Amino acid sequence: MSEHSKTVIRFLDVERVHGSGQQAVRALGPISLDIGPGEFVAIMGPSGSGKSTLLSLAGALDRPTLGRVLIDGQDLDGLSQRQLAELRRRVIGYVFQELNLLPGLTAIENVALPLELDGFPIAKARAIASEALAGVRLQALASRFPDDLSGGEQQRVAIARAFVGERKLLLADEPTGALDSVTGELVMRLLREHCDRGRTTVLVTHDASHAAWADRVLYLRDGLLFDEVGDRRPPVGATS
Amino acid sequence: MTVRHSLLAMLADQPAHGYALKTGFETSTSGTWPLNIGQVYTTLARLRRDGLVEPENLDDHGPRQTWRITDKGRLALEHWYESPVLDDPPARDELAIKVLLAVATQEVDVSRILQGQRAATMERLQSWTRLKRQADPEQEIPWLLLLDALILKAEAEIHWLDICEQRLSQGRHG
Repeated sequence: MSEHSKTVIRFLDVERVHGSGQQAVRALGPISLDIGPGEFVAIMGPSGSGKSTLLSLAGALDRPTLGRVLIDGQDLDGLSQRQLAELRRRVIGYVFQELNLLPGLTAIENVALPLELDGFPIAKARAIASEALAGVRLQALASRFPDDLSGGEQQRVAIARAFVGERKLLLADEPTGALDSVTGELVMRLLREHCDRGRTTVLVTHDASHAAWADRVLYLRDGLLFDEVGDRRPPVGATS
Repeated sequence: MTVRHSLLAMLADQPAHGYALKTGFETSTSGTWPLNIGQVYTTLARLRRDGLVEPENLDDHGPRQTWRITDKGRLALEHWYESPVLDDPPARDELAIKVLLAVATQEVDVSRILQGQRAATMERLQSWTRLKRQADPEQEIPWLLLLDALILKAEAEIHWLDICEQRLSQGRHG
């Protein structure tokens, strides 16, 4: 059980306020939260409820105004910009709405890029990327450029890219946004499989049927944690 | 009407006795809507009265009697398949009634009702999603179709609860 003793994401009385004085707007908090290894957590809530702010903090893309955010045991507050960047690259995979695939690189080159940045030799990075593309059922399209792929295919490339490199934490912001329901379900299935291999996953979604793939569903309202449904840990036997 | 037409649909495929119809219905619908054997026999009696089915063996009045569909029965079945299902007037919806009464009478905290219901529906949605994960997408298509239907209805319910919450809070602040 020692694997579960450490949290991957810990929020302690976190508040995020934008602006100051009379212009100050509290986007999130105060909120406290623990997400452990291998947990799949979905975050729901109306627009403006703080979902994206929470995800930015969990992704070390932003810092709290008050309170502490610990990612993989590291307090964001004590980290320099350079260390933050290092934490992001080493620990976190992102699947965001804007896919950020590099248009000049093929699918496989896009997926291999984070590995090359990790210092893998190109051939090794390509081999891992090829496997990741097979995992999202895209091996046949590995040498296509993003512009020659459909929206759903591009999304799967972005997911393969987030999966490589054994990162502990995967953050997904509406990853099924523009997809039809069958492709959306495939994406959820892939996220779930990835999580079942021990990776922590946090998904922001408007879609209750996608949130239902998670073990825990957190509802935000007006920046606060309003409700929580589900188990703290993956149900025993539910993993494949 | 559903049981009536379901029995006709199975008899159009092949003649069968009452118990086989019960198990056939339950298998086709993955056991989601259990069918009472008494209801099967009453329905068969009514279908016979209306000339839509007939017994194969006129001397047998027991449970082993095999039934077959008549030409009139096939027409009724064809008509059923061709008629879109319209819930008109809408079936009584306990949740909607509960919420509307809570809003109208102001006797209870509506937001607690909405929150409790959403949590319960989300838990069901999670358990159906787990079943979907375990289902074989090539071998269990009817089961998956049924799960899709249940999941979409639960999703719509959660969506509705969210809208209720937003409208009520706008009503309070506005």
